[in-house]
Amino acid sequence: MDAAAIVATAPQPYVLQETLTSHNRAVSAVKFSPDGSLLASASGDKILRVWSTADFSLLTELSGHEEGISDLSFSSDGRYLCSASDDLTVRIWDLAAATAVKTLSGHSNYVFCCAYNPQSNMIASGSFDETVRVWEVKSGKCLRVLPAHSEPVTAVDFNYNGSLIVSSSYDGLCRIWDSATGHCMKTLIDDESPPVSFVKFSPNGNFVLAATLDNTLVKLLARASGGDLRLRTCTKVGLGLWHFSAGKFLKTYTGHANSRFCIPATFSVTNGKYIVSGSEDNCVYLWDLQTRKIVQKLEGHTDGVIAVSCHPSENMIASGALGNDKTVKVWVQRTEEQMED
Amino acid sequence: MNAPIIDPLQGDFPEVIEEFLQHGNMKCIAFNRRGTLLAAGCANGSCVIWDFETRGVAKELRDKACVAPITSVCWSKYGHYLLASATDKSLTLWNVMNGEKITHITLQQTTLHARLHPGSCTPSLCLACPLSSAPILVDLNNGSSTVLPVSGTDNTNGNAVSHPRNKFSDGSLPFTPTAATFDKHGDLIYLGNSKGEILIVDSKNIRVNALIPIPGGSVVKDIVFSRNGQYLLTNSNDRVIRVYENLLPTKGAAKELEIMSDTDDKFPRIEKLKEVGTKCLRLSREFQDAVTKIQWKAPCFSGDGEWVIGASASKGEHKLYIWDRAGHLVKILEGPKEALIDLAWHPLRPLVVSVSVAGLVYIWAKDYTENWSAFAPDFKELEENEEYVEREDEFDLMPESEKVKELVINQDEEVDILTVEKDSAFSDSDASQEELCFLPAVPLPDVPEQQDKCLGSSLKLGDSNHTGSPFSVEAAQNGQAILPASSPLEVVGNSTPEEAVGTAGMKRKRKPSAKGMELQAEKGRKPQTKNKPSGKLSKPKSRSGDGIDTNGSVHEDDVTDEYL
Repeated sequence: MDAAAIVATAPQPYVLQETLTSHNRAVSAVKFSPDGSLLASASGDKILRVWSTADFSLLTELSGHEEGISDLSFSSDGRYLCSASDDLTVRIWDLAAATAVKTLSGHSNYVFCCAYNPQSNMIASGSFDETVRVWEVKSGKCLRVLPAHSEPVTAVDFNYNGSLIVSSSYDGLCRIWDSATGHCMKTLIDDESPPVSFVKFSPNGNFVLAATLDNTLVKLLARASGGDLRLRTCTKVGLGLWHFSAGKFLKTYTGHANSRFCIPATFSVTNGKYIVSGSEDNCVYLWDLQTRKIVQKLEGHTDGVIAVSCHPSENMIASGALGNDKTVKVWVQRTEEQMED
Repeated sequence: MNAPIIDPLQGDFPEVIEEFLQHGNMKCIAFNRRGTLLAAGCANGSCVIWDFETRGVAKELRDKACVAPITSVCWSKYGHYLLASATDKSLTLWNVMNGEKITHITLQQTTLHARLHPGSCTPSLCLACPLSSAPILVDLNNGSSTVLPVSGTDNTNGNAVSHPRNKFSDGSLPFTPTAATFDKHGDLIYLGNSKGEILIVDSKNIRVNALIPIPGGSVVKDIVFSRNGQYLLTNSNDRVIRVYENLLPTKGAAKELEIMSDTDDKFPRIEKLKEVGTKCLRLSREFQDAVTKIQWKAPCFSGDGEWVIGASASKGEHKLYIWDRAGHLVKILEGPKEALIDLAWHPLRPLVVSVSVAGLVYIWAKDYTENWSAFAPDFKELEENEEYVEREDEFDLMPESEKVKELVINQDEEVDILTVEKDSAFSDSDASQEELCFLPAVPLPDVPEQQDKCLGSSLKLGDSNHTGSPFSVEAAQNGQAILPASSPLEVVGNSTPEEAVGTAGMKRKRKPSAKGMELQAEKGRKPQTKNKPSGKLSKPKSRSGDGIDTNGSVHEDDVTDEYL
């Protein structure tokens, strides 16, 4: 395959392959399983749905949460899912049995984000109660409460070997924690400190990718009901890459619309290197990692795209959109033969 | 692991007991190579694998055939196997992942220390130091064993026979434990004998190639290599820990030594061995307590080899001495009044675990002081007060010169988001070899039978109600108030009780929290342990309404408290 060569000049466009329409409310998170065989989606309709990536059939519906679900994460072996919900709990689901095996409660406000560590013996969760909690998977005990931030925590992520946790918050900070001890190791802050709506480690853990919002109207923080908890307002839009050891702000990716919601971004590394993010103008944006140029806008959703995920090995992107759309869309890069058809 | 952003000033030896682990009666411990798992051998013959990240039990290796107290545990290089020796003279090799017993062989003698050959990831060879005879090399596949020589002289045929002088009149082997260890790659065996000599034995042809007499010449109790193989320490009966520098290269040491010992043959054998010995090890430090003259127990090196730690072998004392390699005593740590029986330094972190005679494992760590500049990067931490001299333009409205400089960041610089820097602490890692660092964590299901549990606890509460103690009444009322509500809300009901326990555990600081579940179980049986305060702390939680305990043990415990 000389696909890489093609991409270097003009990247092959992603095209819509599938639209999955089972959710009744906004799709808040989509994730591929680590082996790429499954796609899971979380929604404000309180249900998690798991799809096969082979034929996009609905494999499992996981219900049990009493409020909308904001985030989900697969365990490394793909046998379990954890989900963060407005019902103040994180739940661990056994996919084979399609049941919740554990409910982790302790947060005193909406749980907004969650992440399995690569060893899958711990789960970190971030909440509107401004803390990050670290849970032991086996017993469901809360191992640590990190007094992480002074505003709602918008994202948590582990690095590739699970030794670090990064958290982001509306207080405008990203903090890096030693996951073994719970000590704060570094705080990333820019000259201005717009709310940080998303953060994630690069695959090698040397960088963090953060999305920031400016001029947040904090009064919009209170939300009406499950599902639409990402409601925010802001003016300036930015998505940035930090080198966290040096604490430098390295690259900025702009051009999309992100004024109200916590929209995740991700790295696409399967064919060239891109940054992928949702946007409130109903598109999915792809930037070239190095040049920071927009290489493609994926159009098709009919409402803001607030969830994206890249397949771990194939050139496939999944996206989920807000309440007027409620669908999960799957985008692929066509091979040459398919293009000729 | 996080070297680039760890504060170098945060010191690197432990200071306080951070936590303790309790599970059965633990006797001996060993970290896996990366320090992610801690194996502990128990008095009932089982081995517990602790997940050292979560400090929870990851696995229990248990078998009907293994019921005798474990004397030592040893990991294979990549952590897939665990060797345990027990007082029933057996050696057991476990597959850590699936918890199955691979081999179980019985020797002539009880093994005090068993070490797997460090060079291979699927080890078949192990070194066993029995209670009262020479160390033996055991082939775990066929159970065949080779006795190692314990003296420099009569080993010409390779089939070692103990020095005749050391034999008892009945011809049995002398009752003198001999310490032995493999070097880093397992090419050589370093053996400390009862005459106070270190013998270097080739692990292939079982030939003594060098001999180093230890000053003082008393029985060697322990012989331990540092993790990088560059230092060796001995603990002798003369109450001195000696640190030697290994002059042989870590790779190909056996060959080098063979060449040395094969050249010129004009000296008598023993002299030649000593001559070679001077080229193998150089005594660099001696550690002892000149005042109390205590015996040492379980000395070892820190993960980076910079520190040496030894414990006092005195009864009823849990005292750890830490020296730096330059020879200074830097710290004495004093634990509970329980004798120490085993000790291990974490391979990467400034962290020590010690086993007490009571079967508890104590975790010693740095007394962490919050690094406030980590929270606010624009703050600088000062050691002491400084007079502040303001810059000329500090309060100018436009300190342009500086602002501009900071903003220049080349956004087009290429970034590498994929390449992972190699971990320098594990330079000898074989990338092709999958290392077992973690055992899969299977979440234990939440208690499913909420109805039954409610019934159970309500009965208990009912009983306690008759005692008329104020708290139990309150608890009972609370319980009754919740009962009807919990039935329609099955899912919440199912989950909350355990979580209540979990949070309560978490709130009792770190110390007991790591053991939440076990403690809960323990408490039912013996409410009068030192863990009692934890039970009390969980009271307000259960009172607050969301906690009917999963097994009723908290209430039971509380009730017991009321009786007292």
